[in-house]
Amino acid sequence: MKEQLAELLEVDEVKDSDVLKDFECWDSLTILSIIAWASENYGKTLLAKDVNEAKTVGGLLALLQ
Amino acid sequence: MGYGFGDECRRRFYSTVSMENKACILITGASSGMGREMAVRFSAVCRVILNGRDTKRLEETRQLCTNPAEQLIWQYDLAKVEELESSFAAFMSAHQIRISYFVHCAGFMKTYPLKMVTAGLFQDTFNVNVISGALLIKSLMNRKMNDTALKSVVLISSNISNFGAKAFSVYGASKGAVDALMRSLAVELAPRVRVNSVLPGGVRTAMTEHMYQDQELINRMATAYPLGLGRVGDIYEAVNFLLSDKARWVTGQQFIVDGGRTINITG
Ligand SMILES: NC(=O)c1ccc[n+]([C@@H]2O[C@H](COP(=O)([O-])OP(=O)(O)OC[C@H]3O[C@@H](n4cnc5c(N)ncnc54)[C@H](OP(=O)(O)O)[C@@H]3O)[C@@H](O)[C@H]2O)c1
Repeated sequence: MKEQLAELLEVDEVKDSDVLKDFECWDSLTILSIIAWASENYGKTLLAKDVNEAKTVGGLLALLQ
Repeated sequence: MGYGFGDECRRRFYSTVSMENKACILITGASSGMGREMAVRFSAVCRVILNGRDTKRLEETRQLCTNPAEQLIWQYDLAKVEELESSFAAFMSAHQIRISYFVHCAGFMKTYPLKMVTAGLFQDTFNVNVISGALLIKSLMNRKMNDTALKSVVLISSNISNFGAKAFSVYGASKGAVDALMRSLAVELAPRVRVNSVLPGGVRTAMTEHMYQDQELINRMATAYPLGLGRVGDIYEAVNFLLSDKARWVTGQQFIVDGGRTINITG
């Protein structure tokens, strides 16, 4: 799960405490990619608002549990 | 109704269609949204062949139609392009019908940014949006299967076809392909069959419902669309015109129905 997220965020690895907004590639398209990824792999329907409010990698992963 | 396409449908008679005099229209994507609206409206004057995957929703559409018992369901997953022609041929021969009009309204849309794009996504999208429509036209042109019954075809494209938007590369490419297909077939199948496309702007249906969860987007749309929000019935009206003899000298054209969205360059 974290590996795929790292891939989407264009880095080697991610930690729970990483702040989403601090990723260099963080933009509306990355948010869209995350929404698509969550739907495809975890059957979760996320809104852009949910992803933004998750704040950190850990927060985001919690949405997919 | 009661004009144009309707009158024409009523007048048509095929000796091969024993149970009635009405012309038949095949509508893919009839289980939802625009396709459902068209099925219901055309059923007042035509015999409608409803295609989709979801049997329950296809049946719901049928019950909304005029004379439900007269309307036929062809349940088939259009993504399965390899068996499409044989499945459709079996359906046609089982029901002994001839089809005069075809609307390809089934559509597959995933808005994925480039980094989420895969070969599989391209294949799924093109199978449903482009290839299945082309193979159905091919079948409907086959004299053994459909005599020379086919008269007019409308492919449902999208106003993205001539433009661009973030995360729309795959879907946009498929709708561009729909229109390219439409033009070449319009030339190849003339003068007997006319082929045109309708390019809707954003309309609230199952396909786009997730976008309308966002009030900000609705507000943005209200300003970007000079004529405000559109409805499925607006798309039906354009299709009705293109299928009818009123459009007898119109082929190979993109008919944009988007409330002025794509001509609006207000800054
Ligand atoms: N809504 C818009 O804003 C908009 C804008 C521009 C263009 N369009 C185009 O308009 C057309 C109609 O869309 P809509 O808004 O009415 O969407 P919709 O309500 O989601 O309906 C889509 C239809 O396509 C059918 N479909 C999808 N995949 C299929 C498959 N593999 N095999 C058979 N049928 C399949 C669905 O059938 P099942 O549900 O039974 O699978 C459903 O009946 C599409 O071509 C779309 O691209 C829509």
